[in-house]
Amino acid sequence: MIFLKFDRRIFQHFDWTLLALVLSICAIGIINIYSVGFSVSERHFPFYVKQIQWIVLGLFFMMAAYLVDYRVICQAAYLIYGVSIALLIIVFFYGYTTHGSQRWISVGFFAFQPSELMKLALIIVLARYFDSHNSNEPYKLRELFFPFLIVLIPCLLILKQPDLGTALIIILFCASVIFFMGINWKSIAIVLVSGLVLLPVVWYYLKSYQKERLLTFLNPEHDPLGTGYHVIQSMIAIGSGGIFGKGFINGSQTQLKFLPEQQTDFIFSVFAEEWGFIGALVLIIMFMSLILWGIKIALHSRDLLGTIIAVGITALISWQVVINIGMVLGILPVVGIPLPFFSYGGSAMVCLMAAIGLLMNVSVRRFALQS
Amino acid sequence: MAKDAKNWLKLRLAFVMIFFLILFIALFSRAFQLQVLSGEKLKNIAQRQHTATLQLQPERGMIYDRNGEKLAVSVLADSVYADPTRIADPVRASQQIAGILHLDKQTVMKKIIEPKSFCWLSRRISPDQAAKVDNAEIEGIFLVKEPKRFYPNGQLAAHLLGFVGADANGLEGLENKYDDILKGKPEKMAWARDAKGKKIFLRVVNDEAKKDESVNLVLTIDSRIQYLVETHLKQAVVSKGAKGGIAIVMDPKTGEILAMANETGFNPNNIGGLTPEKWRNRAITDYFDPGSTFKPFLVAGALEEKTIRESEKFYCEDGNYIVANRVIHEAQRKSHGQLSVRDILKYSSNIGSVKIAQKLGKEKFYNYIDNFGFGMKTGIDLPGESPGMVRPVKNWTKVDAATIAFGQGISVTAIQMITAMSAIANGGVLMKPYILRSVTDKNNIPIKMYNPTVVRKVISAETAKRLTNMLTEVVGAADGTGKNANIVNVAVAGKTGTSQKFDFSRNVYSRENVRTSFMGFFPADNPQVAILVILDEPQRDKWGGVAAAPVFKSIGEQILNCFKTNIRETPMFAEDKQSKVQLVSAQETILPRSADNNDESAVPDFRGLTIRDAMKKARARSIELKVSGNGWAVRQDPQAGRVLHENRVCKVVFEMNN
Repeated sequence: MIFLKFDRRIFQHFDWTLLALVLSICAIGIINIYSVGFSVSERHFPFYVKQIQWIVLGLFFMMAAYLVDYRVICQAAYLIYGVSIALLIIVFFYGYTTHGSQRWISVGFFAFQPSELMKLALIIVLARYFDSHNSNEPYKLRELFFPFLIVLIPCLLILKQPDLGTALIIILFCASVIFFMGINWKSIAIVLVSGLVLLPVVWYYLKSYQKERLLTFLNPEHDPLGTGYHVIQSMIAIGSGGIFGKGFINGSQTQLKFLPEQQTDFIFSVFAEEWGFIGALVLIIMFMSLILWGIKIALHSRDLLGTIIAVGITALISWQVVINIGMVLGILPVVGIPLPFFSYGGSAMVCLMAAIGLLMNVSVRRFALQS
Repeated sequence: MAKDAKNWLKLRLAFVMIFFLILFIALFSRAFQLQVLSGEKLKNIAQRQHTATLQLQPERGMIYDRNGEKLAVSVLADSVYADPTRIADPVRASQQIAGILHLDKQTVMKKIIEPKSFCWLSRRISPDQAAKVDNAEIEGIFLVKEPKRFYPNGQLAAHLLGFVGADANGLEGLENKYDDILKGKPEKMAWARDAKGKKIFLRVVNDEAKKDESVNLVLTIDSRIQYLVETHLKQAVVSKGAKGGIAIVMDPKTGEILAMANETGFNPNNIGGLTPEKWRNRAITDYFDPGSTFKPFLVAGALEEKTIRESEKFYCEDGNYIVANRVIHEAQRKSHGQLSVRDILKYSSNIGSVKIAQKLGKEKFYNYIDNFGFGMKTGIDLPGESPGMVRPVKNWTKVDAATIAFGQGISVTAIQMITAMSAIANGGVLMKPYILRSVTDKNNIPIKMYNPTVVRKVISAETAKRLTNMLTEVVGAADGTGKNANIVNVAVAGKTGTSQKFDFSRNVYSRENVRTSFMGFFPADNPQVAILVILDEPQRDKWGGVAAAPVFKSIGEQILNCFKTNIRETPMFAEDKQSKVQLVSAQETILPRSADNNDESAVPDFRGLTIRDAMKKARARSIELKVSGNGWAVRQDPQAGRVLHENRVCKVVFEMNN
């Protein structure tokens, strides 16, 4: 077995920096979730305890994704993809609904969100595809038909849930991977033009609340107590934190529940209110370090497959961070996207941990190969 | 991997890196903009969102008279409110509450089915009603303590004090004039509140808000004088069948108002159903033709200008004097021949006055009218003062110039009259009348004292003295028009007046409806008090000398009884509570009158009385008086208020003053 053979090196060259970085972000996240839950006294089982459980569970998946060589994993790419699609279809029929959206499958004691798994599956399947269809020339549209298709199917299923945020993230990071692989200018032009043509059609199919959100993004004051409420409250919370913040569990807007969706999508606002610009700076720098580390891993990967995986994971995390923080800062429209390693949520945490495991996998295998 | 391919990969990776770095820098910039650049602004917005301020109104300040007698106090009373959202059975609730509070069931019902979470049902109810409401324990009906203004002396000085409305705002009188400082600034308490508006009491955001306490007012009013003035005025109004009356007592040397009464009075504790007619302080708001009481001011001017001398004779035309197209008569159709200036005042000759005015000239006359303060507000610290009406001299016709000489065709307020009169008493110096003596804090430590204000010197002290002399004769002489105001052993200066009221429906001066007045001061050589008494439309005794002068006399006598020598001194029986002049009773339920005050067996206070009066008083209580000395009573043994049993004897020492 491949991984038994490299057993010693796998632990010798373990990427402690990456783990430390991720766990630091998780730790800050736990502290932050603790603060959110502070003013909710009646809860028996606080969010932060649950979040620790998710992180521990995530660490197991991380190890699993780390120990099996990524090339082995990629051999099973289409299987993983197929399973993910199947789960999305199950969600479509049997998933349960919260907040008007059908996203979860109940797996015994917790609810699982297959769209999170889909992100991982897409990274693997795209890596597999481009690795086997490598060319030194930029790809033409015809060659990109298959990748488009494998991205489009889950996107449609996820949009149907509806979960615009996740679909958007999938499109963005997959597009990033495709662009990274190179795409000729003509194809870009065609995609852009058809995109513009499709825009009114997409608009037509958007749910009215999604339209509202986009309109609100363009002008948040348009409905300050309705759809604009979230963004305005978020900006007030962040801004009122000032340079040094209001201090741990002292964020008035958070503690007094002015801020919506505190432990999930708007978790950054809580942090920025209580820890101020300094805190926000530190957190964003940590995410930036994570991104740079991902790029470094992509650069030093022993093969193209590893590079694509690393770029895919880096792009996924980057986009989630950018869209989430951009949203709570009021420079991007409100779409429900959690902040990686920071927002409360099981599926996302576990899948992202697995993604980090995969990244470590790529990172360590170069040593394994060289020897 | 080929070197080219490797470089190409590096380039693409660099591109990806730079792309995301730019996005992250955008995030930084935005965070910087929100938190650093507009942090303060957003902090304020947040502050406004999550703090609720609660205003705690301090207890309204008290109003005291000059001797510390409470005229207006604040007590806590229960008010009933409903939270309609918490009433499950409005029919039953309205039935119950309407029964307890004696309200209309339908009205209550209407209030408590409205989709609100707060409505008043009844404000400031009685303690036993509150107890009933409390016992009934109706869901959604609550009691809250609210301060209620209470005037312990009932009607006493009601027109001065005014009253407060349901929400504790001063609506009239001093309550209105000094509402701001009586009310004080509310203490602001900030509470944190959550997004649902719920108050989070644990987190008091800001407790630095300083409590700005309300203050107490100390008036120049002496409630004992006020009381006796009100009593005598009321008696006179009733006995003369008058429509109303005004009386003012002023300290002529300072301008302090010692008493100001309007008849008919009202009870500020119960203002329901009252109209402004009732509560208007007519002493300062209403203006009228003063009549003959105006003559001294003419004579003052003429004397000052040396136009006339006291003994100078004027021919009074035997009662008919034609000025322009009008015949001037004497009052009561009397006729006079040659009269000296002294006699013109004494007999109150209209024609004589006209002649003096003609000799003085209308411009000079006007100047004196102006300098005595007529036609402009005196500036007394009460709301609603009227300036009266004095036409500019250039518009005066010959008839005007003549009739103004005897006080017709000019409109003045009562406060103007007494203020001008006080100027004569005060050596010609016009003082600004005032009613607020000092402002004290909650512990009655003075914060601000108000001092007498000199307005101007109108006439010389010499002129004032000569005029006072003549006015003393008006009262003192056996044939003076003001003889009914004479007080034994005291030189009183004064002047009567009766003015015809202008009948607006017929546009002529009415013969039937008159306003009769008397104003004066005493003692003439060192005036302590100036008193003005006006009776409005008395049906019996229409002449000032007959109707108003006796009121002046009885008020004056009682004041002399009260004060040994000097009004400005704190009266000697301030320390002796039992012998205080009995004030108008408070509502019995709250301030029961002490029983022994009227006890027949107690020794009355003889101090300040003449021997004769003391004897009279002692006889009324069957006390044997042991008199020593003569003049006014200064000491007595036993002290006033002591209860005598078998041996009903009291030693009283009398002394002459200076």
